[in-house]
Amino acid sequence: MLVLTRSTNQSIMIGPDVVVTVLEVRGDHVRLGITAPRSVAVYREEVIAQLEAANRDASSPSAAALDELRSLEPPASGATEPT
Amino acid sequence: MNATLQDLSNAPAAPPTHPAGEIIFDHGLPGFPSTRRFLLEAWGVANGPFSLLRSVERDTEFLLADPDVFFPDYTAEIDDETATWLGLRQADDAVLFVIVTVGDRADQATANLLGPIVVNRSTGRAIQAVLNEGFSTREPLFATRGA
Repeated sequence: MLVLTRSTNQSIMIGPDVVVTVLEVRGDHVRLGITAPRSVAVYREEVIAQLEAANRDASSPSAAALDELRSLEPPASGATEPT
Repeated sequence: MNATLQDLSNAPAAPPTHPAGEIIFDHGLPGFPSTRRFLLEAWGVANGPFSLLRSVERDTEFLLADPDVFFPDYTAEIDDETATWLGLRQADDAVLFVIVTVGDRADQATANLLGPIVVNRSTGRAIQAVLNEGFSTREPLFATRGA
């Protein structure tokens, strides 16, 4: 990991067009400003980690679980008219 | 807000349109970065709210739901860059799904509203969007019994 020391209002550049600026440091919290082309997706790491975990849990549900869900399903649409 | 089992049986038939051919996630999905090519298959009752997204490359599949059936108030706002990347010119070009986690008990199944699946219905190009707006990855699909 590359480690750089920066002060408030100083920036680092990542590649030619991504700029990360330290806006404010208060205790444990650091506010960062990020300038990047719209094609560069910027996410909090924990959001992506959350999606990874959710996808892993959702992937390839067991046949038993799917059978149970199938039994909860309503009869085919069209069999009953909406009231 | 959530559909109950009873509501579900009265829901108007709102089948997602199944794009013909393969569904391609050029970036894979979070946690599954190299799983890119899928087929979308009907699952469960005819014209029901569920579909199965089955990998053609490996033994991986996801159960998808039509969010309109379970979460009628849910709106996924896709940013312009994603829409352009998917080749969407108007809202009708896209089909929206949410990934379902069935878990151990089907009546406690949840849906991932934070990361919906957006598919270009004519090209099959798809992405798992990241809404970043406080949506849950585990929103109960069915309202609690008796609530």
